[in-house]
Amino acid sequence: MISLGFRTLLAKEVRRFLRVPGQTLGSPLVQTALYFLVFGWSLGARLRDVDGVPYARFIVPGLVLMGVILNSYLNSASSLFVMKLQGTVIDILVSPLSYAEILGAFVLAAALRGVLVGAITFAVAGAFTGFEVAHPAAALALVALVAVTFAGLGVASAIWAQTFEQVNFFPTFVIMPLTFLGGVFSSVRMLPRPLAVATRLDPIFYMVDGVRAAMLGVSDASPLAAAALVAALAAAALGLAYGLLRSGWRLRG
Amino acid sequence: MDEPVVEIRGLVKRYGDLTALGGVDLAIRAGEIFALLGPNGAGKTTLISIVAGLARATAGEVRVLGRDVVRDYRETRRAIGLVPQEINFDPFFTVEEALRFQAGYFGVRLGEARLAELLEVLDLTAKRRASARALSGGMRRRLLVAKALVHEPRILFLDEPTAGVDVELRRSLWAYVRTLRARGTTVVLTTHYLEEAEALADRVGVIDHGRLLLVEETAALLARSGGRSLEEVYVDLVGRRQAVAR
Ligand SMILES: Nc1ncnc2c1ncn2[C@@H]1O[C@H](COP(=O)(O)OP(=O)(O)OP(=O)(O)O)[C@@H](O)[C@H]1O
Ligand SMILES: [Mg+2]
Repeated sequence: MISLGFRTLLAKEVRRFLRVPGQTLGSPLVQTALYFLVFGWSLGARLRDVDGVPYARFIVPGLVLMGVILNSYLNSASSLFVMKLQGTVIDILVSPLSYAEILGAFVLAAALRGVLVGAITFAVAGAFTGFEVAHPAAALALVALVAVTFAGLGVASAIWAQTFEQVNFFPTFVIMPLTFLGGVFSSVRMLPRPLAVATRLDPIFYMVDGVRAAMLGVSDASPLAAAALVAALAAAALGLAYGLLRSGWRLRG
Repeated sequence: MDEPVVEIRGLVKRYGDLTALGGVDLAIRAGEIFALLGPNGAGKTTLISIVAGLARATAGEVRVLGRDVVRDYRETRRAIGLVPQEINFDPFFTVEEALRFQAGYFGVRLGEARLAELLEVLDLTAKRRASARALSGGMRRRLLVAKALVHEPRILFLDEPTAGVDVELRRSLWAYVRTLRARGTTVVLTTHYLEEAEALADRVGVIDHGRLLLVEETAALLARSGGRSLEEVYVDLVGRRQAVAR
C-alpha cells in the first residue's frame, strides 16, 4: 500500500499547500483568531460560564474544529478541481496509481492541512485560555476522523464540480450553516426549542460536542455516540469519493 | 511473428449522438513508428485516449502487450507514455519537480543521469529550476514530452507533439524519436504536418469520421502513388471521401 507512487502524490499534495503558507495556514489562523477575540474575549467576558466552563474556553473546541473542517475540505477540493481545470489531472489518470492510492494521498494531505490549522488555532486560543486538554489522545483521534471525513467530501465535490462556484457551494451553503448551528458558539441547552431540535439533526453538532468532551470533559450528547457517528461519516465520505473516482465520472471521457 | 504491442478490436466510442470512433480495428507492431493521420475531429485523440486510459470505450477491446487496458490497467499504463495534445502544466512546481513527481507516480525513482539526459534532449537544462509558469509554449510542450518519457515506456503516444515547436527543435525531436525506436520503443504519433509523417513513419493510418480509411507501409504507399508526396495522397484520399459524404 505504501508504494512510491502513493508517497509521491502525497508529497506533492503536501508541498502544494506548504508552498503558499500565507493562504493555506496563515489566513485560517487570522480568521479563527479574530473569531476568538470577538466572541471569546470581548463578548465572553460578559457571558456566564457554560457547564462550569468560562465561555472563552468553551468555544475553543468548536473553533479548532471549524478550522479543521474548512481546511481539510478546501485542500482536497481545490487541489483536485484545479488539476481538472488545468488538465494536469491527466498526469495521474495515465499513471498506474490505483484508486485507493489516489484517494489516500489526496485525503491524507488534506487532513494533514486540516489538523495543522487546528493545531495553530489551538495554540492561539491556548495563549488566552490555557492549554489543558482533558483527553488529548481522544481529541486528536476525533479531530483526525473529522479531517478525513471532510477531505473525502472535498475529493467527491472536486470530481462533481465543473465551476469554482460549485466547489464553494458546499462550504458556503452546507458547512458554514451547519457549523454555526452545531454549537460552536453555544451549548444546545442555551438554544430555544426549535433550534435545539434542528441542532440534534446536525452531524457537525456531534463532532463539536465529541471534541468538546475530549478537550474540556463536558458535553451535551454521549461522547461515544459522537465517536461512532464521526467514524461512520468518515467511512461514508471515503466510500463516496472512492466510488466516484473509480467510476471515472467527469474525469475520464 | 511478433505479437502486436497494441491491438484494437471493434473499438467504438460515442459521445451522446456523436460517434467519435465507429468500429476501429488496428494493430501496432513492436518497434515501429506509426503515424495516425486525419482531419480535425477524425477521432485520433479519442483513440489514443482510450488506449492510454484517459477515456472509456463504448464497445470493443484494446490490448496492450497482450493485456486488457481496463482490467489490467496498472500493467498497461506502465508500458505507455502519453504526450497529450492539450498543453497542461502546474504553475506551483519547477520543471525538475514535475519530472520527479511524474516518475514517482509510475513507481520510478528518477536518477540524476536520466533526468539530465531528458533535460538535455528536450533542451530544458537551463530551465531545470524554472517554474512551469515561466516556460514558453514550446518549452511547455517539451516538458510534456519529457514527462511522458520518465518511466521509459515501451510505447510512446505523441498527440501532435510538434505543434508550436520551432523548426530546430522539431528536427531534434524527430531525431530523438528515431533514437527511441532504435532502442526498441514503439511510437504512435498524430500530426497535421504530412512531411513529418513521411519522414518519420514506418506505417501510416488515415482516419476520418471515426473510421480507418487506410493503413499501409509509408514506403509502399508512396511507391504505388507514382512519385506524389504523402500530402498529395492524403488530400486525395480524405478529399474524395468528403466529396462522397456530400
Ligand atoms: N469529451 C467529449 N465530449 C463530446 N464530444 C467529444 C469529446 N471529445 C471528443 N469529442 C468529439 O469526438 C470527435 C473526435 O474528436 P478527437 O479529439 O478524437 O479528434 P482528433 O482527430 O483528435 O482531432 P484534432 O485533429 O482536431 O485533434 C469530435 O467530433 C469531437 O468533437
Ligand atoms: Mg486530437
